Parts: sequence; C-alpha cells; structure tokens
Amino acid sequence: MTLSNANLLYIEDDPEIGAFIHSELKSRGYEVTWLTHGDSALEAANGCNLVILDVMLPGLDGFTVGQRLKKQYPHIPILMLSARASIDDKLQGLQFADDYLTKPFHPEELVARIEVLLRRSGAPSSTPLQIRHLLIHEKENIIMNQDTGEEILLTGKQFHIFQFLLQHLGQILTKEQIYEGVWGEPYLDGDKTLMVHIRHLREKIERDPASPEIIETIRGIGYRVRA
Amino acid sequence: MRKTNWNKPKFRNSLLSRYMLIIAIAFLFIPVVVPTGLLLSLGVNYLLFPEKKLEQPQLYNSVDLEEMWHNEARELAHQPQPETIDAKLKEIKAKYPEVSLFWVDGEERTRLQLPKQANLPANWSTEDAISYMKTASNNNTFGVVAFISEKTDEPGGEGFMVLRISREYLRRGSSPDASFYGFFMFCMLVIFILLSYLFFRNIRKRLLNLESGMTRTNKNGLPVRIAQGRADEIGRLEQAFNHMVDKLELGKQREQEEEKLRKNLINNLSHDLRTPLTVLSGHIYTLEKEPLSSEAHESLRLMKTKMNDLDHLIDHLLSYNLLSSGRYAMSLKQQDVLRIVRVSAAAWYPIWEKSELEVDIELPEEPLIWEVDEQAFRRVLDNLFQNLHRYASSGKYVGISTVLRNGQLALLIADHGPGFDAPTPSKGAGLGLTIVDLMMKQMKLMLEIDSSSEGTKIYIYPASRIS
Repeated sequence: MTLSNANLLYIEDDPEIGAFIHSELKSRGYEVTWLTHGDSALEAANGCNLVILDVMLPGLDGFTVGQRLKKQYPHIPILMLSARASIDDKLQGLQFADDYLTKPFHPEELVARIEVLLRRSGAPSSTPLQIRHLLIHEKENIIMNQDTGEEILLTGKQFHIFQFLLQHLGQILTKEQIYEGVWGEPYLDGDKTLMVHIRHLREKIERDPASPEIIETIRGIGYRVRA
Repeated sequence: MRKTNWNKPKFRNSLLSRYMLIIAIAFLFIPVVVPTGLLLSLGVNYLLFPEKKLEQPQLYNSVDLEEMWHNEARELAHQPQPETIDAKLKEIKAKYPEVSLFWVDGEERTRLQLPKQANLPANWSTEDAISYMKTASNNNTFGVVAFISEKTDEPGGEGFMVLRISREYLRRGSSPDASFYGFFMFCMLVIFILLSYLFFRNIRKRLLNLESGMTRTNKNGLPVRIAQGRADEIGRLEQAFNHMVDKLELGKQREQEEEKLRKNLINNLSHDLRTPLTVLSGHIYTLEKEPLSSEAHESLRLMKTKMNDLDHLIDHLLSYNLLSSGRYAMSLKQQDVLRIVRVSAAAWYPIWEKSELEVDIELPEEPLIWEVDEQAFRRVLDNLFQNLHRYASSGKYVGISTVLRNGQLALLIADHGPGFDAPTPSKGAGLGLTIVDLMMKQMKLMLEIDSSSEGTKIYIYPASRIS
C-alpha cells in the first residue's frame, strides 16, 4: 500500500549517503530527483509530492532552502534529515519542516515517515485504503463497509477525527493531540467531548464497538489506527 | 573628560546647591518679608476699616515723647528766662494737645501750668517733689521729668519741667494695625514650606522612578535603560545605572556569541561523526539483503548493535558537553508533565510492542503541573525508556503511573528487569544516567531509583516541595 509513483525531491551533498538513499527509494517505486545542493531546489520542487532535505549543504544551508520551499510551495511536505543533534536545530527545522529525522537512520524508518507525510498531505492516491472491513476512498471521502456493502455516513466532527487518525496511520495519538488537531484549540483537562465523539464513531465503523478493531485504545496514552 | 565629569559633579547642578539656594532665598527674604508684611497689613487695614482710621486720636510713642522732652529741656538750659520757657511750653502744648505740662523754677516755685492742675503745690519742698515723683508715672498716666540743664538728668539750678499724658494716647505694644501682619508672615512661611515640599517631592518621585526602572526587565532578564533627567546627583545615578545596563548587555551579547560558537562546534562535530556512521549503516542494510551465511548475518547484527551504541554515545557525549558546561539553555515553564509522558510513551509504544512488553500505563486525568523544560523532560524520559528497553526487556513489563512519594505526587516508571546491579552486556548506561541527573538537577527534580533483582522503580518528583 505504499504511495508509490510519488515524486520525491532529495537534496543531499554527501555522495555516499545520497547514492544509497537514492537507490533505496527508487527500489521502492518512488520517482526520485537527487540534487547535491539547494541552489536549484525551487525549480526542481515544482510538481513533486515531497522534499527530503539535508541540513548541512554547501552554499545555501538546509534551513534557508527549506524556508524558501515552504514559502513557495506551502502544501509540499518537507522532511529534514540532519546529522546535527542539538534540540535547537530540531526546533528551528520544525518551524517549517513537517518532520525531522536524525542520522544515522534506518531506511525503513525513512520510508515509514515518507509514507505518513504523503498520506497527511493528501497526495493523490487513487487506490482506496483498506482497513479491516472498511474500504476508504480518500479522494472522494467515501467509507464503505465491505461486510454490508453500504456506505458509512459520518458527521462532520466524526469524519474529521477519523481523517486525522488516518493521516497519522500507525501512530499513537494522545487525546490532546487529536483534540488540538481537529478542533484547533487547546485541550481542556477533563473534557469528555472527544471521548463521546469517538464512542459514536466506533458505533458506526466497528464490527463490535465493545471491542474495537479499527480505532485501538492504547490504555493510558491515546488512540491508534493501524493499516 | 567623561570620567572627571562623573566623579566631580558641577556644584551648580547639585541638589545640595539647589536646596541651599532655597534656604538662602528664605533668609534673604526676612528683611523684605517683615516690612512688606507690615505695609501689606497696614494697606489691608486701611482698605478694610478706613473710618476707624479717621476716628483714631493722635497716638504718640512714649520714647519719642521722652526724647523730645529732654531735648527741649536741654535747649532751654541755654536761655533759662521764664518767658522763653513759658513760650516753649505753650508751643509744645499746641503741638501735643493731649499732654499736660508745668515747670518749676530754681526757687522751687510752680510756674506755668498747661492746663491748670489742682494738686500741685505752689512751692515745692523736697517732700513734695519726692511724693510727686512717686505718682508722676503710673498705670494711667505716663510722666517725664527733665531738669532744665545741659544734663537733663541732673539738677542745673534752673528748675525742672514735667510732661504728663494719659496712657490711652500712647501706642501700645501691639497696635490693631498689625493684626494682618501675622497673617502675612504665616503666608510667607507656608510658601517656604510648600517650596521645600515640592523640592523634596520631586526628588522622591525621581528616586521612585529610578527604583521602578531598576526592577523592570526586558525579555533577556536584563534591566531596561531609563530616561535621564537633570544632571544632578540623581541624574548621575541614572547615568551610572544606564552605563551598567550597557555593560550587562554587552556581557550578555558576548556570552550569547560564545554559546553560538560552541553550539556550532558541537553541531559540526556531531555532523562529522554521524555522516560516516550513516554511510556504514547504509552499507550494513544493503549487505543484510544479500544471501549470506548465518555467521555473516550474526556479525552484521552485532555491527548494527554497536553502530546504535556508538550513535547513542555520540549523542550522550555531545549532550553531556553542553549540560556540564551549563550551556544547555532551558526554558522552564509550568506545564502538565503527564502530557509529555503520554507523548513520549506513544513514541516508545511500538518498540515495547515489538519486544512483547506488557505496558501498564495508569495516569490520572488531572494534569500534574511541574516547572520543566519540555525538550529536556522528553530527553530524560527517552533516556530512561532507552535504558529500560536495553537492560530490562527481559522483565517483559513497563509500568508508568503516579504514586505518593514523600507526601507528594511522583511519577513512577517501573520494570521487572534484573535490576541495576545485574551485569550489563554493554557499558554506556552510566553516561545516559549522568545526563538524566544533570537535567533533573537543572529542573529541580528528584530522581530516586529503587532497584532489586525483582525489578527497578524510578521515582521522579519536584525537589523544592520537600521542605
């Protein structure tokens, strides 16, 4: 279910790491454009789905390139790669970047994060997402129950919560993160609104709402939807 | 130039000189104030009671009268003829109609009386003179006796002359004319006090301004420059204060530059160490996909483990360097630590799941507010979870909860591993825990480790609330 044939722009000056990641990503079916400096990044980013950006670059540094990219293409997600570990760097990077990964990293982790970012940015995926008995056509906002063959209709808030969980497929999200992601305002302690919405959502999408399979409760932490 | 200006204030600018000026003006004004007050009071009196002024009989000053009388007697001593004396007395009587006069010649006979007085003897014996003198001046009457001679106090053989006047025609000590005089003096005093008050109030206001300026700080925690007023003592204090603020800012700036330099150095070092590590791990990953013997796979697995250890070690070393030099800038904020714990646990959950650990998280709904730096607290948790994963996975359990510890709510991270005393397969936990210790100290948190072969319990709670 990889979102293959996505166009990736990869900017990395180290030839050895670059060659390795480039071939690794290609072998997974992505279209990859590899640049060794950020000077022509703006032109190259035109039409791509995601940018992987190294911080330490000759000439323009990764932060500058990233900020310019974000300004011109606000909808293209940026994944920063860095061998610099300081927290300041990370914070500076996350001001515009959508994710941040420190070297050395496992290629699997890189791919997993690319997948999350592509899904979150709503990259066109014509192939519907299959989760248990649900078939989700993200483009058309249609959720089909394959057990009954009927479409599941959700209210606005239910849909937003489910969409938010799908965008972070495989990740555990805390109550606060979901609430703030969906409502866009700070979570107030003891607020039961989210739990009520999730209960109603489960009643609609789960086979057995008493033992949910799609929206997992991770006790003490939050919720997770796994592919 | 500036230095001399600093140490030696110009006298004319000083507060002392200004206060001296006020005092001096006050003193100089006394000779002006007294007659001015008098004139004003007379003026006001005249304006308010003009008719009273007209009714008033002519008033005399007793001293003036006495002096005049003695002067006349001295004059008459040069021409002691009775006619001259009579004429003179008449002249005086015309000038001072309220007085009564008479004179006694050398033969002790009473001569001219103006007006005629009943109780005077015609011839003065010594007894008569003494008894008269006793009564000449009394409560109702003011009397002056002058001998007609060069020295009017001693008899010169030409006799003596007497002037008497009822005391009601004499000016008393406080005449009704001066009733406003006190009022004007009082006004002057009030003006002086008011000026002094304004002077000191101004000083006080400026001192308070200075104080509030010193306590106000900008976003860097440094005091703010204050507006400089007049160049007196307080003005120079303000100037000195601003000078100090400039010095502080300069120092802060230098410190920030040094910090930046150091951070850059560490970042570059981190980059230079990690880049080859990334290349190595990439090649190991490629090799893993090749068909290899089981020995080769085993050695690849070992290489991978060591690579991870090396990565963490680099991370720890760099963090330790920053922390131990006090360069790790924390921004402590009152916040819910349980929220941070949940986010951190969410990140570790897949790893625990993979290692088949039983995860038992029991955190209350209510927030647990501590003053921490979010990143540093995350890092403390990450280090603890990392250690737990590495050395206590065999216990197949991780528990995160809150318990009462020493009378306050503490965060408890528990495992069922072999404990801290168990021999560890690889070193490196020490540095990680040292970093945790340093960060906890900076956030004023306590870390208590309760370890046995049954498992380890780590308690975290704020240090400040113990006392």
